[in-house]
Amino acid sequence: MIAHTRSWMTRYGVLAALIAMSVVATIVAPGFFSLANASTILLHVSINGILTLGMTFVIITAGIDLSVGSLLGLAGVLVAGALTAPGLIAVVGVGGAAVVATLIGLAVGAAVGIANGALTAYLSINPFIVTLAMMTVARGAARLVTGGVPIGFPPMGDPHFHDKVAALDALHAFGGGRIPIPGTAQGFPVPALVMLALVFLSALILDRTRFGRYVYAVGGNEEAARLSGVPVRGVKVGVYAIAGACAGLAGVLMVGQLRSGGPDAGLLYELNAIAAAVIGGASLMGGIGSAWGALTGALLIGVLNNALDLMGVQAFWQEIAKGAIILLAVLFDVWTKQRNGGTTQ
Amino acid sequence: MTLLTLRGITKRYPGVTALDAVDLDIDPGTVHALVGENGAGKSTLLKIVAGAERPDAGVMTWKGQTIAAPTPREALLRGVTVIYQELMLAPNLSAAANIYLGTEPGHRGLLDASAMRHRAASALADLGLVIDPDQPVGELSVAQRQLVELARALVRDAQLVALDEPTATLTAHEVAHLVAQIEWLRAKGIAVVFVSHRLDEIRRLADSITVLRDGHRVWTGPAAGIDERTLIRTMVGRDVVFERCPPNRKADAEPVLSVRGVSRGRALRDVSFDVKRGEILGLGGLVGAGRSEVARVLAGIDRPDAGSLTLRGQAYRPRSPADAIRAGVVYFPEDRKRQGLVLGMRIRENVTLPVLSRVSRGGLLQAGAERHLAQTAATRADVRPPDIERLAGTLSGGNQQKVVLAKWLLTEAEVLIFDEPTRGVDIGAKTEIHRQIRALADAGKAVLVISSELPELIALADRAVVMREGRVQGELSEPLTPEAVMALAFRSA
Repeated sequence: MIAHTRSWMTRYGVLAALIAMSVVATIVAPGFFSLANASTILLHVSINGILTLGMTFVIITAGIDLSVGSLLGLAGVLVAGALTAPGLIAVVGVGGAAVVATLIGLAVGAAVGIANGALTAYLSINPFIVTLAMMTVARGAARLVTGGVPIGFPPMGDPHFHDKVAALDALHAFGGGRIPIPGTAQGFPVPALVMLALVFLSALILDRTRFGRYVYAVGGNEEAARLSGVPVRGVKVGVYAIAGACAGLAGVLMVGQLRSGGPDAGLLYELNAIAAAVIGGASLMGGIGSAWGALTGALLIGVLNNALDLMGVQAFWQEIAKGAIILLAVLFDVWTKQRNGGTTQ
Repeated sequence: MTLLTLRGITKRYPGVTALDAVDLDIDPGTVHALVGENGAGKSTLLKIVAGAERPDAGVMTWKGQTIAAPTPREALLRGVTVIYQELMLAPNLSAAANIYLGTEPGHRGLLDASAMRHRAASALADLGLVIDPDQPVGELSVAQRQLVELARALVRDAQLVALDEPTATLTAHEVAHLVAQIEWLRAKGIAVVFVSHRLDEIRRLADSITVLRDGHRVWTGPAAGIDERTLIRTMVGRDVVFERCPPNRKADAEPVLSVRGVSRGRALRDVSFDVKRGEILGLGGLVGAGRSEVARVLAGIDRPDAGSLTLRGQAYRPRSPADAIRAGVVYFPEDRKRQGLVLGMRIRENVTLPVLSRVSRGGLLQAGAERHLAQTAATRADVRPPDIERLAGTLSGGNQQKVVLAKWLLTEAEVLIFDEPTRGVDIGAKTEIHRQIRALADAGKAVLVISSELPELIALADRAVVMREGRVQGELSEPLTPEAVMALAFRSA
């Protein structure tokens, strides 16, 4: 019974906090409670939400991935570069270039993620160090590729101006598009739809697949999992690949949204993702976390930022508020654990 | 005058009485040996002497004065130094810094480094160890680190030095040096208490011996007054709680698993034996004799440096536990909390972990099939209550062990290795686990049992291989007696 109470608290505590915060925001922030604002929040949350999903996989295995923000930047400049390469557009067309660029973003993210996982799993290097190094390497690579300036929208007089703009527009349908909903002016943002689809997919993987079960087992007790025949190294490579692919996809969406890939895009996004995962109930000690929690954590940060924006609160105060929320979430978790007398030990 | 007197010392832990009204007298300038099987209470007794554990009952006196509230610090100031098996040194600090840890000389918070270095070097030299006192302890050998701990006792003017199995990991040469140092301490008037499993060394070094068994002091007397055979019988001579069951089975003629010349580092040296279907083979010996190390090699956790394994007539080279499980060899680990279970997961999730492929289709888990499989296994292993959705961490020790058992029963393995299957388990669960182990052998499985509890080993095993210091000392079949096992396990080096 105690165990159920605790899982109830961890599962629905954050959701309750999200609802409470939304109610308060409705009262104090003018214009908060509207379909248009809801879709704005979802759009703003989608990049961080996708990074948080990948991060949650890693955190459940008791790992950490500091490289996702830089990886978003690196994937973004490569996506923007491919998308606006006249040769590619000439061969596959505008729509084809958008597809190829998307695949490049996913592949770069997954490949770097696999490297992170392999270094962690096979060479037994602490993931904090591996991904810290990778964070620096990826950021440096992004700046190297671009020479430090954003790639994307062509200057007037570019010989391929129309092709490039058309290609950027094609990807914009993915990263910045909206699906019309009858009765609303704006429609539903595509990136938010992508995020929600990934939440469902992640929940399915974590709850209903063998791989998902292994992810929890590795984080819960790596030694016991290994002795039970779980391919621990493969699982680790898998979760970092997922986190990397999520970062790559986030890079694609961002290029689509902004019509440009900046070498400094995604700076410090890894910390936002870790914060959202932890607020969403994932334990840095491993073994605990969920896809729905990741979504809830990302939404909580998004609602907070949005409400403070609407109230005209300075951005600096928003940062302080976000920090306080992270501390509160962790304190809440510690408190519920203590109240239930450390039932898992 | 007696230095330290213990009267009626009793120490209880949840579910077990580690010491039951133990008396002990230690005189200055003597060497007193504590002997007994694993779990007899020797280490607990040392901890009480060190002030690290408080007795639940009993009186301790030091030079005739009653010790009111023993703490580690108070014991240290009184002149008691206990050197544990896992040495208590900071590996990154220098030898001198370790020797003076907690008692650094200096004024106003500044260390007197030269005095420390100087006196540390002279204390080490007294013990025949010439090293640079600035050398980090992590760079020293185990034997050298022990001497650093002894030097620590010297600079603190210890009057009583207790050592827990100091020679267990030393080479013969290093043992000789340590023995000489202990004799030197005795000559200086220091009382020495030591725990050892090496009877030859006990008889050579000790003035008096105390034998502990199941927390009771069963014998104390001069070392000269007892011969080796009597000593062994005194150590193991308890009533055998578990009846030896006549096997209701017949082993195959041919072995299913053969181990030949397996070596690994210093832990395993040229180990060979066979296991057959339909028998329980006991692996006897003391803690650290290499029994678990053999099991780890068989289970694919560690790889041997040399030697070969044969399974069903084929070469068997498991590269991972997953390999071993696929080949039909499973390992029931010693430390269930660390190695056996994911405590934060449900019973269902724990038991199906090695066999998830059987309840999944294309990577997708079939919830109904998984529940059915887990329920069958939990019922078969008699997990109580058989609620498979409970978290493993909320179960009692015996039930946790049954969950591990349920997990391995599901793999349908042919060779099952049980490492200390009933450690820390209540008598009811113990009987049930024994019944299960026998049933496995009756069903034609090859079963290997490692147990430090002699009565358990004797009760379960049809045959026993006894190990000491990484080597097979001998093989015993009927009649399997505690004395015979102990004689091999302890045989003088």
